[in-house]
Amino acid sequence: MKDKLTVMMLSWEYPPRVIGGISPHIYFLSKHLAKQGVKVYVVTCDFPGAPAHEVIDDVEIYRIDSYKNPSPDFATWVYLMNMNMQRETAALTRKIADKIDVFHAHDWLVANAGIGLKHVFRKPLLVTMHSTELGRRDGLHSATEKMIHETEAWLTYEAWKVICCSDYMISHVKYAYGLPSDKLVMVPNGVNIYNYYVNGDFREFRSKFALPEEKIVLFVGRLVYEKGIHVLINAVPKILSKVNAKFIIVGSGYMKEQLLNIVRSMGLEHKVLFEGFMDEPTLLKLQQVADVSVVPSLFEPFGIVALEAMAARSPVVASDTGGLSEIIEHDVTGVKVYPNNPDSLAWGISKVLLDANYARYIKENAYRRVQEKYDWEKIAKQTKSIYEGVLGEYHKSFWAKAT
Amino acid sequence: MRAIIFSWEYPPRVVGQLSGYISAMSTQLAQNKVEVNIVTYDDSATGQTTEPSGVKTFRVANPVRNHIGVLTWVLTLNQEIERAAADIYYESNKQVDLIDVHDWHFIPAAVTLKNGLGIPFIFSVESLEDQRSPNANASYNMAIKSIEWLGFYEAKRISVKSEWMKDEVNRIYKVPKEKITVISTDPSVWIEEILKLYGSMAEAEE
Repeated sequence: MKDKLTVMMLSWEYPPRVIGGISPHIYFLSKHLAKQGVKVYVVTCDFPGAPAHEVIDDVEIYRIDSYKNPSPDFATWVYLMNMNMQRETAALTRKIADKIDVFHAHDWLVANAGIGLKHVFRKPLLVTMHSTELGRRDGLHSATEKMIHETEAWLTYEAWKVICCSDYMISHVKYAYGLPSDKLVMVPNGVNIYNYYVNGDFREFRSKFALPEEKIVLFVGRLVYEKGIHVLINAVPKILSKVNAKFIIVGSGYMKEQLLNIVRSMGLEHKVLFEGFMDEPTLLKLQQVADVSVVPSLFEPFGIVALEAMAARSPVVASDTGGLSEIIEHDVTGVKVYPNNPDSLAWGISKVLLDANYARYIKENAYRRVQEKYDWEKIAKQTKSIYEGVLGEYHKSFWAKAT
Repeated sequence: MRAIIFSWEYPPRVVGQLSGYISAMSTQLAQNKVEVNIVTYDDSATGQTTEPSGVKTFRVANPVRNHIGVLTWVLTLNQEIERAAADIYYESNKQVDLIDVHDWHFIPAAVTLKNGLGIPFIFSVESLEDQRSPNANASYNMAIKSIEWLGFYEAKRISVKSEWMKDEVNRIYKVPKEKITVISTDPSVWIEEILKLYGSMAEAEE
């Protein structure tokens, strides 16, 4: 057996191509695996201006031709892109001096490539399920949605182990694809706490958003139904009856117009600000000056936005649902409220705003919890030990002998 | 010599004339000391069989049942074709001389196997998308054409059944004529021509 564990990650996005949460996930996971002595190759889609091959933090990045002819629809493009990804990854795996030990695929977007490479090279396939079609669509309503769901089921069937980021996702994925429990492993998502270390005097910055006597309530997220932003808007008058505050909404989405109308009809335009999409440095400062961060989601596989607020030392009020239920320990690292319940949400937010000692207590606990549990170094160590466990099983299999 | 043949139709599954052609060809190849492995699709009768002629068949089903078009159907089926071929490769001590791919459907699998395991392939052309759907340039047709192009680019040899088709492949895809072999339809010589083509693939590998 060779001394260095070698992994080939397959992902449809990697910086500078950032579409959702998988891109930063692969970036931090790969970087910290490399620090743990794992040799990591990342194969991903190409991006204008980004080189076809580069080394970032000891991680080898290969960007493949992502199939740029017109495609009939998104799902067909995904399968055509996978055809190219397999072709180039197969050639790469054959060419490089390092022998690949494990293929690690992220979501159905690279299902075909992961499954194909597993059989061509007879190496174990690991899969991280970041989300599911069933959860994204709240059911399966069309041929496309059924096809994607079946592709996800097929991918998890072919995987040696399936990694999910919360206990909630473990039970959801187990139910969605009928998987045995011993195939599922929970590894939380991480947050880079050093990103959130911002120092300075923010009084002038704060004054752009709120009067000195106003508390700041911050919401960060897409303005879509599942994020529960409408619950927060409905809670605004209830909160204002107890404490003077300004509500800052960061993000955009299809519900924006509707929400603006509700705020206008309440006569509260001067209390609720819709900021739209915000660049990261500004958002970091806003998290520093916010008195409370609110995550009122109705569906949430993980809830990274709560972790980010915790890392920024902002006290968190979140719905008791999905991954949020596990991130927040009530009265210790945050406040949990009933999902889809404006009264409960107003109670939680007012409690944090009216009791400074309580707010300080939960935010300091939350910061420590992020350091302990959601640290990329720990996540990389956990992931490495999963690779080692799978390889231990693999080396006893007939595949190891035949190759 | 050990050959793997990819075809999306093989008896009892008959869609067009390719099915009968491959059946006759593989029987004769087996009589001429070629170990023939047919990898094909069947919706329900999956698994491995050995025919009286000695031809081995491997039938796979589509791992995804709901689809939105022929393209997605073909592209998920390719993974099972690829898996069956990889299994033949490993179970025969990595001794596979060539893959013979009939039409575009399983080109993606052949391309991955070539790049990953170094198995060269022949692209045997029955018909082209440009002939089946003349002047069609919707993204659906263009995707099939791009898969045909990939096949011509990656194939070691191309086989066609007429001089006319040789000119078509050259005209539409600008494939050099030296890369294309015309297999005669004359029953007294055709199998010798195929054996010669297969033989040239094995020699070139050494």
